[in-house]
Amino acid sequence: MDPLTLLLADSRFPSGSYAHSLGLEQAVNDGLRDVPAFIRARQRHVASADARFAVEARRGNVLEDEWYARTPSPVLRESAQRLGSQLLRSAAKIWDVPVARMPRPLALGVVAAAAGVSDEDTALLALYDDAATVASAALKLLPLDPAVTARWLADLAPDLARVAQAIAHDDGPLPSPAAVAIELSAPIHLEQRERLFAS
Amino acid sequence: MRIGVGGPVGSGKSSLIAALCGALAGEARLGVVTNDIYTTEDAEFLRSTGVLPEERITAVQTGGCPHTAIRDDISANLEAVEELEAATGPLDLVFVESGGDNLTAIFSPALADVQIFVIDVAGGDDIPRKGGPGIARADLLVINKTDLAPYVGADDAKMVREASERRGSLPVAPTSLRTEGADQVAGWVRAQLAAFRAHGHLHSSMEGVPDHHHDHDHVH
Repeated sequence: MDPLTLLLADSRFPSGSYAHSLGLEQAVNDGLRDVPAFIRARQRHVASADARFAVEARRGNVLEDEWYARTPSPVLRESAQRLGSQLLRSAAKIWDVPVARMPRPLALGVVAAAAGVSDEDTALLALYDDAATVASAALKLLPLDPAVTARWLADLAPDLARVAQAIAHDDGPLPSPAAVAIELSAPIHLEQRERLFAS
Repeated sequence: MRIGVGGPVGSGKSSLIAALCGALAGEARLGVVTNDIYTTEDAEFLRSTGVLPEERITAVQTGGCPHTAIRDDISANLEAVEELEAATGPLDLVFVESGGDNLTAIFSPALADVQIFVIDVAGGDDIPRKGGPGIARADLLVINKTDLAPYVGADDAKMVREASERRGSLPVAPTSLRTEGADQVAGWVRAQLAAFRAHGHLHSSMEGVPDHHHDHDHVH
């Protein structure tokens, strides 16, 4: 495996994601306790499409309008842009990439291209980052053994590998999934008086 | 110029920033970024003091990691500073207030040009002896709430002495923000700002990374 893929996958790479739960905090506020189910739902309805957009950006197709068309919530657009520009801000100190405001999946593709990360690893990074960000946030929201959250990710590994490979070779139409509950709860989260996470 | 203000919960970081904003508002364009742990309490407190227009104060969420936000991954704070300036015009001085934290929290030199560490006598007069990077090397150590020393059984003179022993020539400012304000600290900030304006950068006592000044964004 390419060490630069590991660098980009490492939560110690400064890209701001430690401050995000990707909707988990509000879901927990609303009673959710089955975090692995939430992670899998995000994989199906959000992360797999994001991974495709990352691969497209990695190939030079930075499809901002198409990504926004699939993300109607202004709150989710805003937090994705924030994460994207934070990733680019750090990456710009390493590679020749612009510091621009663009959704994180597209920023990831731009960085992957500059770092020479493969299409498949780019898809894997997008999928894994989504799952790992939620798993890591879960530790601060629910009483959990950190080894258990690591196990969630290990259990997901075969699916991550399979989906990443499929996305890297998918030249068909862009996917159009919908995660309506996540879209609807994002602005509610923003209004919470007490919250740990930016999303 | 950016000043990081760190220190444990309740030591008086927000009060210090409010007092400094009050003292300096007439002579510099000021902004504040707070790093709240769970709420926007600190930002709201500062807004409620009325020392700055509301749009000059902004808050970032730290995902329960106040250390990370000021040291290991400063991207959200850098962005907040830029957005503050984009919204209000250029600022001379931005205070970045850390979320109340333990003694090991320090600011990255890429986020704060200089930093103030705030402790207080009510937190225990053995804190300077316990040390930590903020106490040992912050550009200014503020020991607040000296007015409370007799009531909490703390020896504030000993705190200043032990802190000074650790800090060599670096300054220690005993304050009672509630009864005396922040004149001494405001004087220190003015001197830093004057030096920053004259040289374009400052040599913080916190800089331990030899290649910090080779950072390509740094203007010389």
